[in-house]
Amino acid sequence: MTATAAPVKTVQGVTLRLDPAREPCFTVVHTDAEMADWPGMSDQSRRERLHRHMNNEAAALEIAAQCLVDFPETPWDLRMQLARQSADEARHTSILLQRLCELGGRKGEFPVANFEWCVTLMVDNLPGRLALENRTFEAGLIDILGSLRTTWRAAGDATTADLLDGILADEITHVRFANRWIKRLTEDDPRILLRVAQAVHYLRAVNEALGPQPGDTNIVGTTFTQERTQAPAVYVEARLEAGFTQDEVLEVLRQAGFRSILPEELK
Amino acid sequence: MTQSIRDRADTIATFRWVSVHLMETLARWVPSTPELEVKILFGRHIWEFAQHADALGRRTAELRAPLHFTLAPVNAYAAVLEELATVKGTAERLHGLYQAIIPDLEARYHRYLGETNRLLDEPSVRIIDRILADLARLQADAAETAGVRPDLRLADPKWPERLRTRALEVASFVASRSGSLAEVV
Repeated sequence: MTATAAPVKTVQGVTLRLDPAREPCFTVVHTDAEMADWPGMSDQSRRERLHRHMNNEAAALEIAAQCLVDFPETPWDLRMQLARQSADEARHTSILLQRLCELGGRKGEFPVANFEWCVTLMVDNLPGRLALENRTFEAGLIDILGSLRTTWRAAGDATTADLLDGILADEITHVRFANRWIKRLTEDDPRILLRVAQAVHYLRAVNEALGPQPGDTNIVGTTFTQERTQAPAVYVEARLEAGFTQDEVLEVLRQAGFRSILPEELK
Repeated sequence: MTQSIRDRADTIATFRWVSVHLMETLARWVPSTPELEVKILFGRHIWEFAQHADALGRRTAELRAPLHFTLAPVNAYAAVLEELATVKGTAERLHGLYQAIIPDLEARYHRYLGETNRLLDEPSVRIIDRILADLARLQADAAETAGVRPDLRLADPKWPERLRTRALEVASFVASRSGSLAEVV
């Protein structure tokens, strides 16, 4: 899909954008199966969750920043949103690094994967990248954070839960501006919808090729159960706040097996 | 002598070009800078330069130029910024931007404040006052980051000073509208 001569890598037969720069202390891996991911909330698991999230925020920063570089003709107001997103993701990375260190962790303690960057940067147009990074990955993060805040609080760590709550609020704004801009750009030029559809189709194909299957295990022996490979419970209220229509939320719910974090008024 | 509206619009538009250029430079550096603390610093400051460009671009419309009117600087100054933009080393990026280019930019903003009629041009003055406060904070942020990464050393310790001298040698960075790539971004 990419029209540029950007460097690429091949993972299990799938061509992806080469990883962004990481310090030598990091072990960069390419699939979920190579990640050290433990179930539960042991001290080690907590640090790994923060470490993984920290690297994902860094990747989100890198994607937003690279969009500013790759698409200089973008309307200024949208460039402002991408610049703001860059700063937000940088702040999130910093917050999570600090919390990781407070819990006794360190940079490079666990493997990292830059899947979002490697997939999104294969798309050669901004609406397609917004569809993947903001409307898919970040919207997925909204769902994950909706559950994770509760998980951390239940595990007795209100500090991390509060940090994730703050990050969630920012992520909602990133998804919202992408939803608004894709709608606006599509109204101006309906052919853009085709680019968005192509990007989503590409992601689906990559996920099918590289995603773990139920029964697979990762490098620390954790089994990918049916539940672990399933989409997270949908945070309906936050998705609506982020500008998804009710029909779109229903579609996401259907894909997630109708598992949801319901709005207060529906509980 | 009071600057003409056109002179002021052109200078503000040039500051805008530089702000957009620095925003893009930082954006280009983010994925290719390995050190996490520096990556974070650059990422946070992308938004700062974007806000400067936005405020300056709104001001150009009040000075009888188009909204977000943007004027490329004279070639010599653009070349200095391009040299910075293309450096690969993290220490060079850090010191080149925060110890050479930003101090030069501060000097140019101060010069503008010294030359404009502060009452007649008060909206520009307010914008620049805020930008100057931001630039001081950006340099403090960079110093803090350099403090936590003492391992980042310049290959040529005198390079930032040479870069700053080259910038200083460009007395006026404002190009004439006809001889420059004026644009509205």
